Amino acid sequence: MHAIANLFPWITNGSLIMIQVMSGLAVGMFLFLVSVGMSLIFGVTRIVNLAHGSFYMVGAYLMVTLVGILPERPWAFWLALCVAPLGVALLGGVIEMTLLRRIYHRDPLMQLILTFGLILVIGTLVLLLWGPDNKSVQRPESLAGSVRLFGQFFPSYYVLVLVLAPLVAVSMWLVFYRTRWGMLIRAATVDREMLGALGVNVAALYTQVFVFGSWLAGLAGALAAPTVAVALGMDSDVLTNAFVVVVIGGLGSFAGSFISAIMVGLLQSFGILIFPAISIVLLFALMAVVLIVRPWGLLGRPEDH
Amino acid sequence: MSLAGVALIAGGSAAPAAAQGKPIRIGEINSYSGLATVYTFPYKEGLLMAAKEINDAGGVLGRPIEFVFRDDKLKPDEAVKAARELVGQEKVDFLAGCISSGVGLAISAYAKDAKTLYFATHCQTSRLTWDDGHRYVAHTTNNVNQYVRALAKKASTFPYAKWAHISPDYEYGHNVWDEFIAYLKQLKPDVQVTQQNWPKLGETDHSAYITSLLQSGSDAFLSSVWGAQEIAFVKQARPFGLFDKVRYFSASVGNPDELDPLGKEAPIGAITPGFAWYDEGMQQRHPKLSEWVKKYEAQAKKEPTLGASWGYASAYIIAEAIKRAKSTDTDKVIGALDEGYEMQFPWGKVIMRGCDHQAIPPQWVGKVKMNAQGKPVLAEVEEHHGQELIRSCEEVAKIRLTAAGQKK
Repeated sequence: MHAIANLFPWITNGSLIMIQVMSGLAVGMFLFLVSVGMSLIFGVTRIVNLAHGSFYMVGAYLMVTLVGILPERPWAFWLALCVAPLGVALLGGVIEMTLLRRIYHRDPLMQLILTFGLILVIGTLVLLLWGPDNKSVQRPESLAGSVRLFGQFFPSYYVLVLVLAPLVAVSMWLVFYRTRWGMLIRAATVDREMLGALGVNVAALYTQVFVFGSWLAGLAGALAAPTVAVALGMDSDVLTNAFVVVVIGGLGSFAGSFISAIMVGLLQSFGILIFPAISIVLLFALMAVVLIVRPWGLLGRPEDH
Repeated sequence: MSLAGVALIAGGSAAPAAAQGKPIRIGEINSYSGLATVYTFPYKEGLLMAAKEINDAGGVLGRPIEFVFRDDKLKPDEAVKAARELVGQEKVDFLAGCISSGVGLAISAYAKDAKTLYFATHCQTSRLTWDDGHRYVAHTTNNVNQYVRALAKKASTFPYAKWAHISPDYEYGHNVWDEFIAYLKQLKPDVQVTQQNWPKLGETDHSAYITSLLQSGSDAFLSSVWGAQEIAFVKQARPFGLFDKVRYFSASVGNPDELDPLGKEAPIGAITPGFAWYDEGMQQRHPKLSEWVKKYEAQAKKEPTLGASWGYASAYIIAEAIKRAKSTDTDKVIGALDEGYEMQFPWGKVIMRGCDHQAIPPQWVGKVKMNAQGKPVLAEVEEHHGQELIRSCEEVAKIRLTAAGQKK
């Protein structure tokens, strides 16, 4: 009965449907930024980085610290947004070089245990460094309000995300398909032994990819920080969603991540309106359907799964 | 004359000697890692502050009280494991603690089997002493029923008839909404429910619920979303203009762990309960409050939270029960609880009710406002005592009977 009561108002109210679509797309864009790094890391190194959510969390916390120490000027937010992901990239690089390198040739179970262990270690470090209190980052003045869209209020900050995320996607496409480094990355996802045999330093490539993936996670966290509470537990919240998006899109396919992130974002937006009681399940139902029909994800490759 | 002398009721000597002798040991199980720490760290400060005062003033029956801490990691089975160890190996005299209602209920079930007395401290579910109540459990802080009814009572004074809500889809969320709407309808019969929203616990994106609420045609809505989720909800709802269209009532946004991080983004005008120790009216009604706050800040290096007051009160309530029993024998202490007693704290009177071992403190409901320093605080705080609001002993007996019948 409630589902129907909810349905009627928004069906007749076209502007609210449009706002719902825009919100869903914004959510999808956040999801894309979080997931694409994880997908990329897996595609090249075959590591499922469970600590990806932790990197996202560190990005958000770094944002809190940076915004806190910088003077209250309009440019402070943007500077922090640039620097915070770099901090996470550094963390990723250190982890890759000291820990992950030792286990590439080992049982995949070892990587899961290691990256899971990282979740616990990073989580405790965050508690020790920042304390237990909830933190917050405020939206920059210029983006704190709303714009009028279809006669309704739409948060200006979401407009930033709707512009920035596709920019990141396009830049990534240009890097992968128009640069030599990108070509090496694509080659590594297809056949890394051959790449090594051709004289490419695959180990260095792995580090670079991991650093880049960590940077993306940090960027996602820093960008998301003003829209959520920066608190302990945000690592696990985001990890489940990122994992689902990556699996649906296909591990290793970044176009797959983009499409599936949009699908998941829209599904979450509308699922709540149509089937409020089972909206949680809808996401996993979609994942189950995709895995049954195409076990390697929408745009993944069969030999990967 | 120390504050301890004021707070202790049982007759002590005029010049208290430090407590001596074998300590009375209380196993305290709580969540000291992860996201609950924002609540449990201040709670522990309050607990230890009270324990020190009690011991400096001569202890309980001349013996010092000592808390033995364990981390339950927010998991009921970890908590029960810790309880077993505390009772079996550490041989503690009593059990205490909880923040998660699920954990509290699990420890309570264990305590019933092990015939050990358990004082539930920070968790809130009414089930502890009502549906799942028994003689081996006591609740030293208020339960959901009391503070939700205080909020509903305030809500009934507004002309809002069309109500929606957004509550996390688990025991606590359902408990809060059920208690709120039942009491509100009792006080204001023209209230109708326009929409129900049940996001999952820990949801990070609420935009769909926000848009839903915007076109629900409601006058007001209740939110029992809490902690980090509440912060995210408020941050997301503001630029959609939700709080300008639908009046916001929250079960928790008055707490500093949510209000402080929100800062300039705080929902001004929201009606919510909270421990507004800084409020002028509060300090006038409770002259000893600012002294207590100063002492707490000197120890904890932070401002107190509601949880800090609960930790403090819990230690004293436990000590009082033992004092009145004149023994640490479980059955005698239960006897003291059965008789019930009252204690005075810097924030008012707390009743330990005999029929269900449920603590009844004062309740405060206020409105979120920006103070002169540009920080969001709770203002226009109204106080009612929980005893005006809480379900009667007869109602509790009926609840226990129904629950027992359902278990068969």
